[in-house]
Amino acid sequence: MEEPGFIVHHKGDSLGVVVVEDVKAGQKLRGWIMDTNETIELTAAADIPLGHKVALVPLGKGDTVLKYGNDVGRAVEDIGVGGYVHFHNIKSKRW
Amino acid sequence: MVRTFLGYPRSNGTVGVRNHVAVISVMDNCNPVTRAICQAVDMTLPVTTLFVRGQYGHDLEVAFNTLAGMGRNPNIAAVLLVGLEEQTTEEVARRIRPAGKPVESINLQPHGTINAVAEGTRRALKLAVAASAARRAPCPVSSLLVGVECGGSDTTSGLTCNPTIGAMADRLVADGGSVIISETSEFLGAEHLFAARAKDEAVGKAFVEAVVRLEREAVSRGMDIRGTNPTQDNIRGGLTTIEEKALGAMAKAGTSPLRGVLAYGEAPAGKGLHFMDAPAPAVENLTAMAAAGCQLIFFGTGVGNPIGNMVAPTVKVCGNVNTLRTMADNIDFDASEILEKSAKVGAVGDRLYDFAVEVASGTRTTSELLDIRETAISRFAPTI
Repeated sequence: MEEPGFIVHHKGDSLGVVVVEDVKAGQKLRGWIMDTNETIELTAAADIPLGHKVALVPLGKGDTVLKYGNDVGRAVEDIGVGGYVHFHNIKSKRW
Repeated sequence: MVRTFLGYPRSNGTVGVRNHVAVISVMDNCNPVTRAICQAVDMTLPVTTLFVRGQYGHDLEVAFNTLAGMGRNPNIAAVLLVGLEEQTTEEVARRIRPAGKPVESINLQPHGTINAVAEGTRRALKLAVAASAARRAPCPVSSLLVGVECGGSDTTSGLTCNPTIGAMADRLVADGGSVIISETSEFLGAEHLFAARAKDEAVGKAFVEAVVRLEREAVSRGMDIRGTNPTQDNIRGGLTTIEEKALGAMAKAGTSPLRGVLAYGEAPAGKGLHFMDAPAPAVENLTAMAAAGCQLIFFGTGVGNPIGNMVAPTVKVCGNVNTLRTMADNIDFDASEILEKSAKVGAVGDRLYDFAVEVASGTRTTSELLDIRETAISRFAPTI
């Protein structure tokens, strides 16, 4: 398989992890879903650094964010598909 | 067929993966003598410590038990204690003797430094000559107790090194071996998921209580855990919430049931996966694992953390290609094929298990060869 631009841990996760350098807004990315070995495609809506996250589904303010198939927090603003997801727009539900 | 490695069988039934004479400082003021003895005698390993002098109550018990635990570790053939005076030294010695290995001591009072170094060197020499007679022999992997740790985490940690360590841990537990995962604070946010794997309700409850206690204590001291976990370098690496970090960290425990909850430096009574309630920073956490009897430690890192333990060889596992290039001298196992070549975590875990058997049989780690090793016993109270 062609080297993926992002990786998804579990099918159904809201996030993928960017594994190539210097992703720019508008760049088409191919993603690999680790547990099912499927490939998906999307277009980055923002610049995303290596190791940081891209949204796979539209997330509304307050929506639960899934990674590893588990709840890892909630969106604090609307994030579109291909959007940059980081600590500025998702927060823990714990505190 | 039972999988084996070449280890040093000890008289009490445990098996070492190394064969050192530990020279252990009973308190901080003994460290210079400990180092001087170790510079003079091959096969010796300096186990230094800060404080002990002025510690009291539970905190002092933890310090004595941790020093003694490192002395009892199967990687240690014999122990030379370097103390200030007889009474405190004996507190540590009596905790090591049940392991059935030679335990000698030298005290600075009333000999003075020069005589203590001379006499300590003579004793360490005799212990080393005797220890060098030990030979490696095939031993079942079920005699292994390994610690799993992570530090300098980034988003590659949860995708590569930690699940690879987890896959290796699952294989070791299936073969009858044992694993300790620790770093209590790392579970915050995902403790309910880990507790669900407990063998019974009591173990699950003890685990959750340890995490809740830590959270409550942090809050009561006015600490904002949100500011320290994930850390700034974690966030730069792409980690977001404490839940995300916890799930990635938990991956290194594999999937086997949680058999028991241990106190700081406490040895497990049975086989399988155990959790140890101990602070997360690597040096003090690895020290607690070595005191519990871990012969080996597997340490997943993303952005790179070089430190290893003195007593338990520490295998650094990394799946971040940048770190593998820039910190190659600090990494023992390359797990980058998961992200670079879409390799299956299970297959890389199999390869790590093979490497674990190699290291247990004598292959040296980078932190051993470069002596990037440190000891620190956690402090839970102030000194007086």
